[in-house]
Amino acid sequence: MISKTFLFASLLGASFLFLALALLVPGKGALVYLVKLVLLLVSIAADIVAFSSRHYFYLISPILSQRARNVVLSAEEPYRLSSGADSVIRQDGDTYTATVYINVPLYRSSTEMNDAEKVDFTRQVSRLVGISKSPARFTAGLYVMNKDLYIQQLRDTISGVESEESVLVEKGAPKEDVERVRGKLSMWRKMLEHVSSTTSLELLSFASVSASGTKEFEAAAIAQQKARELMAGIGTTFGISPNIVTGSDLLKFVEPEYLIPYSTVSEQISRGIQAQVI
Amino acid sequence: MDQETVSYLVMSALMPIIAFAELPRLGGGIFSIISMLLILSCVAMLLILNWVDYTVFTFVTSVLGITFQPANNYRIPKGQDAVIKSVRGLYYATGFLTANLFPYYFKQEATGAETEESKLLQAPERWERAIMSLDFPFKYHVLSSGLDVQAVRDELEGKRSFQEFQLSRAMQSSASADETTLTDIRRKISVLQARIDRISQGEKPIATIMYMETTAVGVSEKAATDALAAQINSLQISMSGLDVDLVRVVGRELHTLFNFNFALPTTFKEAAGQFDQES
Repeated sequence: MISKTFLFASLLGASFLFLALALLVPGKGALVYLVKLVLLLVSIAADIVAFSSRHYFYLISPILSQRARNVVLSAEEPYRLSSGADSVIRQDGDTYTATVYINVPLYRSSTEMNDAEKVDFTRQVSRLVGISKSPARFTAGLYVMNKDLYIQQLRDTISGVESEESVLVEKGAPKEDVERVRGKLSMWRKMLEHVSSTTSLELLSFASVSASGTKEFEAAAIAQQKARELMAGIGTTFGISPNIVTGSDLLKFVEPEYLIPYSTVSEQISRGIQAQVI
Repeated sequence: MDQETVSYLVMSALMPIIAFAELPRLGGGIFSIISMLLILSCVAMLLILNWVDYTVFTFVTSVLGITFQPANNYRIPKGQDAVIKSVRGLYYATGFLTANLFPYYFKQEATGAETEESKLLQAPERWERAIMSLDFPFKYHVLSSGLDVQAVRDELEGKRSFQEFQLSRAMQSSASADETTLTDIRRKISVLQARIDRISQGEKPIATIMYMETTAVGVSEKAATDALAAQINSLQISMSGLDVDLVRVVGRELHTLFNFNFALPTTFKEAAGQFDQES
């Protein structure tokens, strides 16, 4: 893989080469001048691309090598979980970067604070941001609550009540019994409609910190150490017990599909389609 | 402008300088004029790329229809304003907004405890009011790092000395100095002094990068990106009360912020080098 400096030097070299050719082409006349102009144009293009490689090295190199409209910068997964499932590992050449996510269980609202407490809380947040000497990221995220299980339970209940109703109708049960079951069915259906029509959100706070190393375990160990230091600072500032996020819970912070549960999405989409049809 | 950018700019500027010096050898008559225009446009392009590279590159990829795959299953569309992931037939579009606090030049001058107290008092309520009006997932990130106290103090004192020198020079050349210039320099000095005082009082200097991230979902890529645009508009409206600089992130910074979800920079210098234009 070519380095950024090498790409810049190559493109700049090409630019000077074409400029030299433009200057050294012998003779006079419109055709010669036209050739010189084309060479100058190529030289300028190479110079501009060379300068762009300062920030766009990650794009220019693949664009030049692939010459396709869909440029593949990486075909690999962007990360993997560490063997201890407590950090996110990213490999870039021979360097491993481990990122640890810390859950900050902070459940306070300004509605339950008096003025002095509000000022104190803001000061605590300001102190939190300045806790770490190395870069640390503090995040407050609004997530869609996962109501999959509850929605599924409601659906199961509805189908149970529906079969109860059909059994009663088939048996020719008294009208009151059938009406009672229908009322129950109507109640559960309304409950399902209400639960799936409103999106419930939860606010989560978390911190993350990264460390690099030449070995995966080295990066993970340094990141864990940094995370423990950060946790101590957060705990002291707010008087809470932060904890390191492990296992599948980590996916919530790195994968977009874990922000919005699948059932919520499908319910929203089907409601959208129904609304369009109506 | 950092040292690396300066060296890139100087070396890239050599080519048009040499070409300009050798202009007579590039042709005569109309060809000479065309060559000169090309050289000037090259210089202009280098300067534009230095300040608004994200606009130029986004324009180029949009016109040429170039899309990027930053990782398996992810895609950056030609507008370079979102990262799209396809999962089980659904498209998840993620976009970013800068959310940096405005530089409080005027507020920093007013160092009265009352203003400070009222800002601190209002902050939690403003934040809660902003998020209560949102009904979609989003994240507010603050990437921060403590800075070396002595280095920051030295830098601020250096800047103050420079401003003091500017002030004395402006006052000496009384013919050209107008009251507005003098007031502006005095204001800059008082802002720098206020910062130095805060550090002297024990406040730790920190550097921060603040940004917001939101994800929208749709049955097609277009539906997801349209929903994302709507969500970003809502975020801009809701967060406007927080006095933050809300600009949609496009281009290389989008790619950088996307990577931040998997690996954060380990030194602040590394992070700052990637955010010198938009934020």
